[in-house]
Amino acid sequence: MSGHSKEFPITWGMVIDIDKCTGCGACMASCQTENNIEPQPEASNKLRSTSWMLVYELTNDKAFPNHDIAFLPRPCQQCGNPPCVSVCPVIATDKNEDGGIVSQVYPRCIGCRYCVAACPYHVRYFGWYDPIWPEGMEKTLSPLTSVRPRGVVEKCSFCHHRWNLAKDAARAQGKNPDSLDDGAYVTACVQNCPSGALSFGDLKNPKHKVHELIKSPNAFRLLERLGTNTQVYYISRREWVRKLGDNYLKSE
Amino acid sequence: MGLDRRAFLGLVAGGAVGTMFTPIPWKLLDDVSIWTQNWSWIPRVPKGQVDFVATTSKLCPAGEGLKIMRVAGNPISAAGNPDHPLSRGGVSALARSEVYMLYSPARVKSPLKKSGKGFEPITWEQALIEMADKLGAAKGAVACVSGDGTGTVNEVLSAFVGKLGSAGCFMMPSEATTAAKGVKLMGGAGQAGYDFENADTVLVLGADIFETWGTSTRNRKAFGASRPVGEKPKSTYVYVGPTKNNTASVCDQWIPASAADLGVVALGIAWHLLKAGATSNAPGFDTFKAVVNGGFGPEDVKRATGIAPEVLAGLAKTLAAAKAPLVVTGSPFGQGLGAAPFIAGMALNILLGRINKPGGVYALPELATVVPGALTRAAMLDGDLPAFLKGVAEGKTPAPKALLVYDANPAYGLPEAATMAKALEKIPYKVSFASFMDETAALCDLILPNSLTLERYDDLATPYGSGFCLYSLAVPYQKPVHDTRTAGDVLLTLARKMSVELKFDNFLQVLKEKVATLAKASGGFVAKDVMPWQVAAGKPAPALAGGDLWKALSAGYAWTMVGQVQSNLGFAPEVLAKAVKAGKAPEKTAVLAPYAQLRTGTPTTGIPCQDLTTVPDTELLKETTLVRLNSATAKALGLKKGATVTLSGAGATCEAQVHLFESVMTGVVSAPLGFGHTAFDIYSKGKGANYLSLMAVVEEPGTGLSTWAAAEVKIA
Repeated sequence: MSGHSKEFPITWGMVIDIDKCTGCGACMASCQTENNIEPQPEASNKLRSTSWMLVYELTNDKAFPNHDIAFLPRPCQQCGNPPCVSVCPVIATDKNEDGGIVSQVYPRCIGCRYCVAACPYHVRYFGWYDPIWPEGMEKTLSPLTSVRPRGVVEKCSFCHHRWNLAKDAARAQGKNPDSLDDGAYVTACVQNCPSGALSFGDLKNPKHKVHELIKSPNAFRLLERLGTNTQVYYISRREWVRKLGDNYLKSE
Repeated sequence: MGLDRRAFLGLVAGGAVGTMFTPIPWKLLDDVSIWTQNWSWIPRVPKGQVDFVATTSKLCPAGEGLKIMRVAGNPISAAGNPDHPLSRGGVSALARSEVYMLYSPARVKSPLKKSGKGFEPITWEQALIEMADKLGAAKGAVACVSGDGTGTVNEVLSAFVGKLGSAGCFMMPSEATTAAKGVKLMGGAGQAGYDFENADTVLVLGADIFETWGTSTRNRKAFGASRPVGEKPKSTYVYVGPTKNNTASVCDQWIPASAADLGVVALGIAWHLLKAGATSNAPGFDTFKAVVNGGFGPEDVKRATGIAPEVLAGLAKTLAAAKAPLVVTGSPFGQGLGAAPFIAGMALNILLGRINKPGGVYALPELATVVPGALTRAAMLDGDLPAFLKGVAEGKTPAPKALLVYDANPAYGLPEAATMAKALEKIPYKVSFASFMDETAALCDLILPNSLTLERYDDLATPYGSGFCLYSLAVPYQKPVHDTRTAGDVLLTLARKMSVELKFDNFLQVLKEKVATLAKASGGFVAKDVMPWQVAAGKPAPALAGGDLWKALSAGYAWTMVGQVQSNLGFAPEVLAKAVKAGKAPEKTAVLAPYAQLRTGTPTTGIPCQDLTTVPDTELLKETTLVRLNSATAKALGLKKGATVTLSGAGATCEAQVHLFESVMTGVVSAPLGFGHTAFDIYSKGKGANYLSLMAVVEEPGTGLSTWAAAEVKIA
């Protein structure tokens, strides 16, 4: 990758402990409803369905009984140097806001899907169908996230609306909205994970747990060699899992 | 008049210039862009004040406390309640669905009466008149089935049926039914409660503790707390079972063993513990020791299970060296395990001295019943529904004249589906209190739609697996979306109509009485600043606040109590000697090992529509479910990746696609449950197959309990 990462004084990031994830899908289900993603009857067609958060099953590729599995939840990696931004012809996606969250402006998106092709993490989803909820279920839509029409690209926003709410809450309490307490702003997936596999916070704030977690010798990022400088870190004690995070030659 | 070339070009040019000055094309272009870009039918998000209220999930068997987000007073979404001991902020994919499932297309919208092959809507008054008439005629032979393992509504149901003349009150088979039978056979009392929070080494025999076994969300919270992110784990978890399932995937060790051999594995570990000097004062120890030494030595176990002697020796050493070891036994798919493996697993807890100890197993007392004539939970769990229905199907047991089904779907959720369907056909009058149009409701003569969690008062008392007594309330936060009622209210109204005395006029009164009883019980407290596992570990229990317990429970807090009943739990060696054999395992080509996950719902919910997206395409591809085999099994059966196969067993067949997956024991076919619905809605109906229907029910020697944890299937 060419280019360089923009630096932000606040850099929201996620740390996912793969050794604690049981692949239950609670994070995916939480994301769906938090972000007004419609129920999809054909959801087993992964080329057409939308999952801002998707849990992948990893294996060490060995035969029974030496086989091992792990689950890897994958939100938008919020790259420091996002490949999707440079290819967008209409600046519908950008990385210019404090916090380092890659934005997605739906009314601006023309649905060309260059960003979908550019994203090495497959986090971007094109809306192939009209968003339709069963009759009455639209009453359960979240007021915090807009409903997107068919024909635009969407992706995980680190539940950006929750950051706004957290800042409002801090202001109301007379606290500094630019220096939120650890845990004051977390995404829906992080909040609801029963295993505590997901952690969230400001990577640059020493008072936030994730600040230390990313220094773990077991921490790694996906496709780090691409230079995308992502804000999502993974932790695993298992070497084979860490190695799957990037493309390695057999000799490495 | 002729049109020459010059005039024609002039006309075209003039037209083109004229077009530039008329607004019509621009207006049309603008309209087209509006029509194609702004879809007026895209839902608008609701607006209004946001607030949060608390309740308890009744859809999810894990019994989480929920925080419900509301906008302008309308529930919007459900999250885990951080103040509730069974959720602590966590939530399953199923509990998360509590709000949007109010509007599920599968909901039964009004009372329905069978009419030909379909149903016709009737009023509640008509339904009650008909039901009073039919049940009056069926007096003396009315049976009931409940799928709610924790609700006080079971008291109303069992008391009502009892006073009409019961032909049997049954719970749907679950881990709780197996455990209740096991405890009874061991001469114990109370409900087995597992203190995960204080355990440091957990041996899991078969039970999918992070999905379908007991308080799975709480179990995972305890697991997560003992494994801080980025730090060295403070606990050890070992899983023994036929597949590396979701639970095993995060355990420190997976020991492959068939569900049929879990008892052998437990007694094999006991052999090592006994050899190392373990002893016990519990009844039956000497005979137990003789049974174990006589047939469960390392070589016996290896011959039966394939597990190397050093593996079990190491495991026994780990357990013996642990400060707070805990052994949990259960079925890999939440039902069908025999009582003997449970007893064998519990025997390990006795040998390790873990009964009624922090981090061990507690014999939890049952909360007192309040409805006169109601069955206790233990009495309801004593019934064996598959055996009863099998007897009815085969003509050995007289068919009840009427069957009341509450929150249960036996037509889908029981093994040997063909036999069960035959039994249900023989029952002349069937009523289902179903919230959704499930397979059993579709067979019934009358459907009385039950309001959902957010529309009704309900309760949750000590779900199986909880390490402490617990009581929490479900509180309605909106009027019923459809013409539904709370089943407890309907039963009490019906009882009045039929002059059956049940003491209460409505279900709210029942719940208030229950809470009043708890307020008088000694040792109980509201879990707020102090959690029950902290009390188990030695922290003083706070006094029950003098205030209104009902108010605290309505605010989402839970009443809890740490303690145990007098339980003289013994080893039940006679049962083990008959039921657990470490003989050479018979050669079987394919043993079915189903697995279940909360994201595909329960038999009564179907697949929650938003959860369908969470199902991977290695489980459901288009409309076909995939079964998992390792490459050695596939080779032996001559199957290739992606092949479409037919599985057959117990008189039923199911289609499947082959998915090669190496974390499955050789000789085992792992199949997902929760699919293959023939009822519900487009999110559930016709998606995959129901592999439970392939499992034959067999009677466990020594206990008489129906089991179906490992059944042989044919694959073609």
